[in-house]
Amino acid sequence: MPSKKMLSALFLSTSLIAPLANADIKIGVVSSSTGPIALVGIPQKNTVALLPTSIGGEKVSYISLDDGSDPTATVKAFKKLIDEEHVDAIIGPSGSGNAMAVIQFAAESGTPMLAPVGTAAVVLPMTEQKKWVFKTTQNDDLIAAAIVEQMKASGVKTIGLIGTADPYGENWAKVMTNLTEKAGIQIVASEQFQRQDTSMTGQSLKIIMTNPDAVLIAAPGSSSVMPQTTLKDQGYGGTIYQTHGAALDAFLRLGGKAVEGTILAASSMLVLDEVPDSVSKEIATKYIADYKKLYGEVPATFGGNVYDAGLLLENAIPNALKSGKPGTAEFRSALRDTLEISKEVPSTQGVYNMTPADHSGFDERGRIMITVKDGKWALLK
Amino acid sequence: MKQRYLIIIGLITLFLAPLVLPTFQITLLNYIGLYALVVLGLVLLTGVGGMTSFGQAAFVGLGAYATAYITTTEQLPEWLSWTAGSPWAGLLVGILLTAVVALFLGAVTLKLSGHYLPLGTIAWGISLYYLFGTMSSMGGHTGISGLPSLNIFGISLDKGEKIYYLIWAILMVAIWITSNLLNSREGRAIRALKGGQLMAESMGINTFRSKMVIFLISAIFAALSGWLYAHTQRFVNPTPFGLQMGIDYLFMALIGGAASVWGALLGAGVLTMLKQWLQDFLPLIMGGSGQYETIVLGLLIIFMMQRAPGGLWLILVKLTPVSWRNQHRIKVDTSAADLPRQALPKKGDLLLEARHVTRRFGGLVANNNMSLQLHAGEVLALIGPNGAGKSTMFNQLSAVDSPSDGEVLFLNQSLSNKTSRQVAQMGMSRTFQHVKLLPTMSALENVALGAHMRGKKGVLNALFHLERDEEQRLLKEAQYQLNRVGLGDHLHTEAGSLSLGQQRILEIARALCSDPCVLLLDEPAAGLRHKEKQALAGLLKKLRAEGLAILLVEHDMDFVMNLVDRIVVMEFGEKIAEGLPEEIQTNPAVLEAYLGGAE
Amino acid sequence: MNLQIATLLGQDGLTNGAIYALLALSILLVFTVTRILLIPLGEFVTFGALTMAAIQMGKLPQLEWLLLGLTCIDCSLDLYQQARSRFNRRKLQGVALKLGYAATLVILVHTLPLAELPMGAQILLTLALIVPLGPIMYRLFFQPLADAPSLVLLIVSIAVHVSMVGTGLLLFGPEGARTKPFSDSGFHLGSVMLKSQTLWVILVSIFLIVTLFIAFERTLYGKALRATAVNRMGARLLGISPVFAGKVTFALAAFIGSASGILIAPITTLYYDSGFIISLKGFVGAIIGGLVSYPLAAIGSVAVGMVEAFSMFWASGYKEIIVFTLIIPFLIWRSMTSHHVEDDE
Repeated sequence: MPSKKMLSALFLSTSLIAPLANADIKIGVVSSSTGPIALVGIPQKNTVALLPTSIGGEKVSYISLDDGSDPTATVKAFKKLIDEEHVDAIIGPSGSGNAMAVIQFAAESGTPMLAPVGTAAVVLPMTEQKKWVFKTTQNDDLIAAAIVEQMKASGVKTIGLIGTADPYGENWAKVMTNLTEKAGIQIVASEQFQRQDTSMTGQSLKIIMTNPDAVLIAAPGSSSVMPQTTLKDQGYGGTIYQTHGAALDAFLRLGGKAVEGTILAASSMLVLDEVPDSVSKEIATKYIADYKKLYGEVPATFGGNVYDAGLLLENAIPNALKSGKPGTAEFRSALRDTLEISKEVPSTQGVYNMTPADHSGFDERGRIMITVKDGKWALLK
Repeated sequence: MKQRYLIIIGLITLFLAPLVLPTFQITLLNYIGLYALVVLGLVLLTGVGGMTSFGQAAFVGLGAYATAYITTTEQLPEWLSWTAGSPWAGLLVGILLTAVVALFLGAVTLKLSGHYLPLGTIAWGISLYYLFGTMSSMGGHTGISGLPSLNIFGISLDKGEKIYYLIWAILMVAIWITSNLLNSREGRAIRALKGGQLMAESMGINTFRSKMVIFLISAIFAALSGWLYAHTQRFVNPTPFGLQMGIDYLFMALIGGAASVWGALLGAGVLTMLKQWLQDFLPLIMGGSGQYETIVLGLLIIFMMQRAPGGLWLILVKLTPVSWRNQHRIKVDTSAADLPRQALPKKGDLLLEARHVTRRFGGLVANNNMSLQLHAGEVLALIGPNGAGKSTMFNQLSAVDSPSDGEVLFLNQSLSNKTSRQVAQMGMSRTFQHVKLLPTMSALENVALGAHMRGKKGVLNALFHLERDEEQRLLKEAQYQLNRVGLGDHLHTEAGSLSLGQQRILEIARALCSDPCVLLLDEPAAGLRHKEKQALAGLLKKLRAEGLAILLVEHDMDFVMNLVDRIVVMEFGEKIAEGLPEEIQTNPAVLEAYLGGAE
Repeated sequence: MNLQIATLLGQDGLTNGAIYALLALSILLVFTVTRILLIPLGEFVTFGALTMAAIQMGKLPQLEWLLLGLTCIDCSLDLYQQARSRFNRRKLQGVALKLGYAATLVILVHTLPLAELPMGAQILLTLALIVPLGPIMYRLFFQPLADAPSLVLLIVSIAVHVSMVGTGLLLFGPEGARTKPFSDSGFHLGSVMLKSQTLWVILVSIFLIVTLFIAFERTLYGKALRATAVNRMGARLLGISPVFAGKVTFALAAFIGSASGILIAPITTLYYDSGFIISLKGFVGAIIGGLVSYPLAAIGSVAVGMVEAFSMFWASGYKEIIVFTLIIPFLIWRSMTSHHVEDDE
């Protein structure tokens, strides 16, 4: 009976292949390398090539998918990674809205998710589902707190807000409303704009009319430039604050003279030369150098968030391997448990200290105050 | 019947799929089902009705946001408190809201022709998208999360494999009622929208109403898909309801084949899978990043439009053996009751009268002081050399155009403010100089269009095929008229494949189907062979004997002289003679003006 | 609101409105000659601005490869067609000329010190790179569909737009770009400070609009070009083939699009996907012009710009909604005044 032999041979070989295929640790990466938030997603996707290829003696393979900035596509990508590729953890997605859409699916399948997104809503308030989510970026309110503190210290009483009409700008408006109230600072104008707007005259006039002591611009990437140039053109003289969304070299290039003197809170990646030596500085320097070697440009901090996710995994996986083989539910569950107790894990942006209640884990070491001086980033002194 | 087997096999496969396939494939199937539901509406709207919409995604958004708001908000407004945050209330509110918005937008845009509709849909598609993002009570751009999963009969549809059944059941029902609709009296009117609106109006069909019907149905399908989407995803934000997605939906319809309900399913499936494959394989081929998908997708659509504008479904149909096709024959139940007929006026009654009709186009006077009368039981011919103004006169008589001076009376009522549709309803029917048939519809269905006014059952009945009784009576009437004009052997032939002569006869059968008292025929004998002309003359004589009034514009003198009772001769927009055929043949003015040059 | 603010908003609206008017005019032009609604017009705007920005930064714009690639496809199609009939010396010369042009540009872009060129040369180089894309686009995507129903043309137009946005991301990346202003000076209008660039935008736009208007309304050649839409045979008699008319209008559209991009790039940040919304606002203007009237479209576009500027001030979150619902009253008016039922196909 040759056919029976063949069948059993087939069966044998597949059963041999299966564990082999599963021996690797598989990490899925979902980023928005196309669509409206592509400028966040592209450095993140590029960073995948710099992630550790072997952890705890096991080979790590990465499967990188693009969701085109569309939450529906993010869900599809997550399901594909979970159900088809049986990944052990997922890094991504790039957008806050996209992340909100997939939390339930990560939790349902018991797959740890490391989200390099800004909004704290993905980990707060902590729920049964959000247990599976770890946020690798500084919470918006951590950065906002630093800005508000700085404002208060320099005697700012009234501020104007300009934010993008997207989750990023929206969340900042929310966070700032809470924080400024406590600090006794008044928001006298709050305006919105679209990333693709070709003019911002109306918004900036409205802000200038109320004459605030300072203006905070909350916009991701190069869209943070235009509100500032418009304000300057119309003769606004107060201090202009930016969020870590502006922490890109493109911001300096596009803004030119208009962004001189801007104050922003961001990770130390921008001013590595000026900060005191630390493990974080070392890691960030290496990351930037590696990235530059590969792509010929300096990465935006968004990319660092993915790199940090890799560091968190590198730290947690050896321990999780003790509990189960990669590709199994035990492994994933152990990975989650270990990630949750990550202690003093240094990264490009700061130091992680995760707890069951805090799945973001950055403290004040995660951000510093930076200003623009002579067309370059400089530590605010 | 093979089609039926195919459908049954398909349904069984669908039912078994979740038991066999991995969950990711089920997820994809869920999305395909959700998309197909929207695309089905587009098939109706674009493929059948000839109207392009880029705004369907916005309707999906209305459906999704309505339910998201109702099921998650902590403080329902007073007037919504009865809903108690139930997804079913969300469904109801979503559909009502969508219907209201669609009614408004339809009223604004559907009367417009050509490019205004697609451009209009782009505009409101964008507006609604931004509105979703701007309203902070709707979660703004961040979106609304934590929607509950659906519950049916105590079963929670919290997993993809479970809601799969609901999605596909709804889709199947939607496909079923859409097919039902298209195979009905209302459906024929809808199918006439693409390229036959002028004709449809002359058959008494309210084309604006038909447009509105399919616009509403497609919007409601979209809202339904949005409701399902919201409870599958359990999260909504504005992105999936933007113009980009609206364009994708239209692409799906075009790839699948916008003319067929199955094209919707095929298109949604192919595009969804294609995007997956492109994402998997393009980076392998092109190297580097996966940013090529949109480029390839766009080029693919261009290629399809250049090479296969009918879509994949049409290609598939062409590939299947002939014996599998044309299975779909409408059966006519000869035992159905006859439609009621209107009593014809008494012989000799004045039915149609033109009084001193003048029609000017700028400085050009096409008709000058034209008067004529048409009585029950007579055949009147309107003749004249080319450019004499016969067609203009014909248009005045049939209320397609209205005179600058003078008036046309039909059954003692002035036609000055009447549309061709109203005139048709009063009992006037006509044929066209350039044949206006729906070439892909069978002869029977084309003729049944003429009987449109004689049916009463509306869209709701048609959706669930509750009007079969009336439908059989309409079809029987159509069959009777086809037999009467001698096309009884061609009931199921596509109208477009008939000879030109047969098509002209078919138009007469269609006109007769509306049970008229006045028949206006625009060059009925053109393109007919001798035998056919004789048969036509015989038919017209019979109709005259029954008491119909017939006016014909004709070039064929032999045909006219041997048939008609009286003749009106026009030249340069004016009447130069009127009388019996014998008188006209010897009238010196006519010979001079009309035949003069020739003899 | 005081006079100063109104003036500032007004000049802002006028600047944007002038650009929309330019775009609306090329939309009308392309539409009346070829029945195509040129949705990808906005991509010419962004390609223009981003190419200019790349040149000013001394980076290779990458667009030269796209041009060369498309020219090669175009030429091989030409050769294929000729191989099927007979080789014709003049046509072969044409092929050689096109290939030579693209190759020359590639060489120029790779040898010239891009960033150091005077601004005029940079502008010329940008236009030289982008304008030929117009006719090539017509030749490859639309010419085979010259007799197709307008719906098909619209779909293809959208598909071209989708592909071009993808190409834009690939060539220019996701970052926004702006360029150096033509001149740095500003001047005072009463108490209001005006930047010279806005004046440039308005003046050049008016100049182009007037030139276009004269060219198409007052010259025989322009009239003949417009006549191709109505009467192909008649146009042929005047020595204009529909294909040629299509290519000319597409070249003009590409020119106007990229010129608009270059004009506004110093005052705004443009992204690879900014073009769509810009051209749609041109469409709103064109619709207000009833898709036939040039002056009405120009006025409508300026109105769009004004409404945009003032709604940005009053309700910044609702700006796009207000602008795009602007066409609804117009559509209502249109549908009230049109009664006839027509068979379009």
